[in-house]
Amino acid sequence: MEVGLNHYLVLAAAVFMVGMVGFVVRRNTIVMLMCVELMLSAANLVFVAFSRELGDEAGHVFVIMNFAVAAAEVAIGLAILVQIFRLRRTVDADDLTTLME
Amino acid sequence: MEAFLFYGGGLLLLLGGILMVTSRSAVNAACWLVLAFLGSSALFASLHAPFLAVLQVLVYAGAIMVLFLFVIMMLEGPVLPAEGKRPKVAVGLLAALPVAVIFALVARRLLALPEHGFTAVAAPGFGQPVAVARLLLGKYLLAFELISVVLVVAIIGALALGRLERSKPWK
Repeated sequence: MEVGLNHYLVLAAAVFMVGMVGFVVRRNTIVMLMCVELMLSAANLVFVAFSRELGDEAGHVFVIMNFAVAAAEVAIGLAILVQIFRLRRTVDADDLTTLME
Repeated sequence: MEAFLFYGGGLLLLLGGILMVTSRSAVNAACWLVLAFLGSSALFASLHAPFLAVLQVLVYAGAIMVLFLFVIMMLEGPVLPAEGKRPKVAVGLLAALPVAVIFALVARRLLALPEHGFTAVAAPGFGQPVAVARLLLGKYLLAFELISVVLVVAIIGALALGRLERSKPWK
């Protein structure tokens, strides 16, 4: 069976779902950030798959943009986490409910 | 070759993702995520995107994951006490159920579409760094410049967040 666009789309959907479940279930904020990375990775896969399907490299450019955005997100997110840890001595999402109260 | 890369890379990506979500230690999770990114890189290679495959390993599996591991080691050590005491299998299954239903619907719809390989035959030179660079520095030059501004802002933001004295305002 020849591998086509649909295979990649199904795989990307599965990976995105795994990341989404992880984001909801895990309470360690660092692992939650990693789950976001996994979801971004699934989106990248869809970009490249459609790029291949349509024979147009524009999708590759968007993936490079996504890399930069992901790097920025990780840098800021982890900096915030480090500061939260300094103040509260925890990165457990269940304990960080100051805004909710 | 393409089919082999697809199934091998897809297996690595999916397996790495699932093991990352289910592993209790944050360090283990980071290592599984590196595996997932390596699989993703193989998938890029199977899609005629060698440049992105290299970037994925360099930027994601290299730089970003090192940053993650560094912060994990700096903060609380490998296992968070909060996640050690709580095996939340039931909650996990409960969260996975609606997601699995949605995924089944999407997959059924996608797999019902007519089955064929990729429509476009990859032209010689498709996805090579030269072709991507032409687009990046030509048609999408403005977006390229803006994304570098985003990176600068992120660096400055991370520096501002990371400074030690919280009480003193910036002079």
